[in-house]
Amino acid sequence: MKYSFNWLKELSGTKNSPEKVVEFLTMRAMEVEGVEKIGGIPDGVVVGKILEIKKHPNADKLQITKIDVGANNYLPIVCGAWNINVGDMVPVALAGTKLPNNMEIKAAEIRGEKSHGMLCAEDELGLGKDHGGILILSKNAKVGEKVSKYLGSSDTVIEIKVLPDRAHDALSHVGVAREITALENKKFDYDFDGLKLPGKKSKVLSVKIEDKKLCPRYIGAVMTDVKIQSSPLWMQERLKACGIKAINNVVDATNYVMLELGSPLHAFDADKLKVKSEKLNIVVRRAKNKEKLTLLDDSQIELNNSDLLITNGATPLALAGIMGGKDSGISDTTKTIVIEAANFNAVNIRRTRTRLNIKTESSDRFEKDLDPNLAEKAMTRIIEILEHTADAKLEGIVDVYPNKIKPWKINLDLNYVNNLLGENVPTKEIKKILAALGISATIQPYKAVCVISTFRVDIKTPEELIEEIGRVWGYEKIKPQALIEPVEPAKINEQVFFERKVKNILVGLGFDEMYNYSFYSRRDTEICGLNDVKHYELANPMNPEQELVRASLVPNILKDVRQNLKYFQSFDIFEIGRVYYPNNNKVEEKRMLVMTTVLEKDKSTETFFHLKGASEDLLEHLGINDANFNLDIKCPSVAHSGRTAGIRINNENIGIIAEINPTVLAKYKIKNRVAICEIDLEKLLAETPKTKTYQSIGKFPTVTRDISMIVPEGIAYAQIKNLVQKTGGDLIHDVQLFDYFEAKKSLAIRISLSAQDRTLASGEVDEVMRKIVLKLEKELRVEVRK
Amino acid sequence: MLEHKINDIKKQVQSDVLEIKNGAELFELEKKYLGRKSEFTNILKNLKDLSPEERKKVGELANRTKREIEKIIATKKQELDGAVDLEKERIDVTLPGARRGVGHLNPISIVRNEIEDIFTSMGFEIADGPEVETEFYNFDALNIPADHPARDMQDTFFLKDDKLAMRSQTSAMQARFMQKHKPPFRIIAPGKVFRNEATDATHEHTFYQFEALVVGENTNVGNLKHIAEVFFSEFFRTDVKVRLRPSYFPFTEPSFEFDITCTMCGGVGCKGCRGGGWLELGGAGMVNQNVFTAAGYPRNKYQGFAWGFGFERLAMMKYKIDEVRLFHGGDLRFVKQF
Repeated sequence: MKYSFNWLKELSGTKNSPEKVVEFLTMRAMEVEGVEKIGGIPDGVVVGKILEIKKHPNADKLQITKIDVGANNYLPIVCGAWNINVGDMVPVALAGTKLPNNMEIKAAEIRGEKSHGMLCAEDELGLGKDHGGILILSKNAKVGEKVSKYLGSSDTVIEIKVLPDRAHDALSHVGVAREITALENKKFDYDFDGLKLPGKKSKVLSVKIEDKKLCPRYIGAVMTDVKIQSSPLWMQERLKACGIKAINNVVDATNYVMLELGSPLHAFDADKLKVKSEKLNIVVRRAKNKEKLTLLDDSQIELNNSDLLITNGATPLALAGIMGGKDSGISDTTKTIVIEAANFNAVNIRRTRTRLNIKTESSDRFEKDLDPNLAEKAMTRIIEILEHTADAKLEGIVDVYPNKIKPWKINLDLNYVNNLLGENVPTKEIKKILAALGISATIQPYKAVCVISTFRVDIKTPEELIEEIGRVWGYEKIKPQALIEPVEPAKINEQVFFERKVKNILVGLGFDEMYNYSFYSRRDTEICGLNDVKHYELANPMNPEQELVRASLVPNILKDVRQNLKYFQSFDIFEIGRVYYPNNNKVEEKRMLVMTTVLEKDKSTETFFHLKGASEDLLEHLGINDANFNLDIKCPSVAHSGRTAGIRINNENIGIIAEINPTVLAKYKIKNRVAICEIDLEKLLAETPKTKTYQSIGKFPTVTRDISMIVPEGIAYAQIKNLVQKTGGDLIHDVQLFDYFEAKKSLAIRISLSAQDRTLASGEVDEVMRKIVLKLEKELRVEVRK
Repeated sequence: MLEHKINDIKKQVQSDVLEIKNGAELFELEKKYLGRKSEFTNILKNLKDLSPEERKKVGELANRTKREIEKIIATKKQELDGAVDLEKERIDVTLPGARRGVGHLNPISIVRNEIEDIFTSMGFEIADGPEVETEFYNFDALNIPADHPARDMQDTFFLKDDKLAMRSQTSAMQARFMQKHKPPFRIIAPGKVFRNEATDATHEHTFYQFEALVVGENTNVGNLKHIAEVFFSEFFRTDVKVRLRPSYFPFTEPSFEFDITCTMCGGVGCKGCRGGGWLELGGAGMVNQNVFTAAGYPRNKYQGFAWGFGFERLAMMKYKIDEVRLFHGGDLRFVKQF
């Protein structure tokens, strides 16, 4: 909310500058979001006396004046207004002055006559809307003095971010002024808390509250002989400073009191409260389902049974606490008005205004739970104001307030204050601080019995009192203190450190880390064949591109690929993140790794093996040497069906490695081939040995033998390798592929053989090799070249 | 006479060997001085013609000299074995190296690792919670009941079903952790959080926070200040002071806005802190007793502090990054710089 410093100053009596007050508030009370100086007549506008008025020789509508601006300066000024007379004191904008409307005054020739300045109208000085003629100043004004000495005060607008805990009382000038006096260790001059309604009962108004839970209090006041006109300039200035447009004296008064005290008010045209008789009726009731109302802003809303209406018993007049109806507002001819000062249930106001998506100054305050006693203060104030600004007369008041809210008590343990803050605040100080905030504290041994004024709706617990004490006392006085609990070694979060290890290995392997959003679009699920996976949907997405909560890391990393191909020809990237989907009414949240490889277009055939190698390196470094890349999985449609393998460790399927299906790539407009490897990190951690075990380095020599062969269609390398290992048993130290031709599928392997306890005799090796060749030929129909 | 001859041969070998440039020449040299037709072999052959005394004397010298010559040749041979024409093999060492291509962590990960390491060293456990969170843990357990205006303080991404939301703060893990652990404890919980907010150079709808939660029987505001000062001084490798300003969060009471002295100017005021000397980092406070009771602790038995600070802000300060959307932008030109 925007606050006028002049207003705050008047209420608090502060002698400090706006800057100092802002500093106080920031450090001890609430966050100031902005400070802006406004208004004020520029220094270049001075008092001038009209010495002479002549007709302009070349223009019928203009006159030439001679103005005394003091210090023997007599300026010729061309003027188009006719309300001036010789001897008048007028505001003169000297050449070089910039007026509030941004007009810059220059010495000029107007139709051939010199003009050294400008005589100003009210609007040109930013004082009002009047452009009827030059503003005539008092005869007592002194020639040559700045006009700002006589007119148009400047102000500083302070914008404060009032958080929900203080919205009950501090969305008002009185609330913030109270803070200022407390922080300056002073007392409030004017007794706003003592404002009591005039005792006059209305003879014509009846108020009925049908739902007392939704409307704990309703005060109606009938005012007659109202003269609708503009508000006084000072009131308009204050409203303007707070960002509220002046309309007329009645509407302005409701806004003024709201800004002053924080209580929204509403004014009805009394005629609209009549139903078939001269009696004025107010009935506060729940709306009927589908009941309709046209609001002040011309919008038509449809209500339901949980919304609260102000009616005249027959027709709805206003949406309670949110906005008035179009038909019940006051007009220029209104003579009798009914002012409403009420209290409404905060939760209900919030529900209605959220559902209808309406936000007003009124709903903003009522939804933060106001003190019902505030309505009385506000009503007292507006009656007082309207008697002055609209010549209105109070006919009488009706106040329905069944359950009176009274101040409440909190016992505050004084040791707790110091124990929580870690700072010894003297008891005397505690009492003083609380008193300044409207909380009276009676000190007893070790405790203070605190009586909370009803406007501090937020203070319900000792901790809330401690906060008040701490902030006013000054948080900066609290000294840093080491924890007294003994330090124990921190338990290691295995998953976190495992993921970090995986990241470090991948970085070592040349992979760059991506962080992607957890959302993607419906189109992404269609392209990537994820339509069958149940997704969580955002109720309020930023845009359709981010409508679904990701159940896979693949779509977003493919978009990373597309983006980076603009600048790089080949790269390896990865992301570690979570995917989420519903599973039996529970949230399944998985930690996943996705690795992606893109190579230059002419190396596209190597893409898959490049990534496979990296994934094998990763697993090997983690201590997993027996990962099984298999064809036992159902190939997802995002993958290339001829280039996909499942990854299995100890019979647990932990992931998949594949080239992306070229049709998917085409839809993302990716021209290179892309390989992707997706691994479930919780499963991977479970299969990762906690520690590595040393394998003794063989003392006996290793013998190598090569076999080259032609392999029939449909036989996988893994089958050959498995067969060699199975047949050779413990003697097989290693099997390596060293030559491979895709055409005709010919390949060559090098087998290393050794034993732990002896040097292998060549006969022994020959025998094993003979068996291997035999098996290859027999079981896999491999043609071994001899 | 013969002795002179033998010594001359040795001298000759010593000087000749200096001229040898390759194996072939050395072979010739060896042949020349020790070969079957060499003078030296001749001398040895003719030893038998000498008197016994002479024979003994000259023989000894000859054999010794032979061994010496052999040694000279062997030494030269070793020298020649690794020898190449270094000048011929000169390369342009300013040509680019063959890069293996090491990868890069996203700066959020780097910052996260540093934070985790510092807190681990201070005895903090690293905890964690789900990113898709129930309304209970994201709001109710944090003292933000339904229809409370504080729900507006963070624009939350709600899911269409099941009363779920993308967690709007790491504090959502507080009650989860406390339900399973008894004080005293000290933890941090780094993680991804989500806010339905318009994005710009300093605002992101997805970002990372780290929650700190320290609970004991006497934990106080002074402890919060201390831990924070130790951590930030370590993180920025400079002496950092903290400042608490009043604020409001439903899950803490008292609540603070948390500032640190500007790490660029040390608090005197500079461009980075817009002259104020302080940098705003986030929210903190003493755990609200309602949060303890929601987690099943008795009211007013424990006291604790908590904070939630953003990684991005720290990374931006550390690396002078001026655009927050880069972290999730997926742009290698960004990531490769770290």
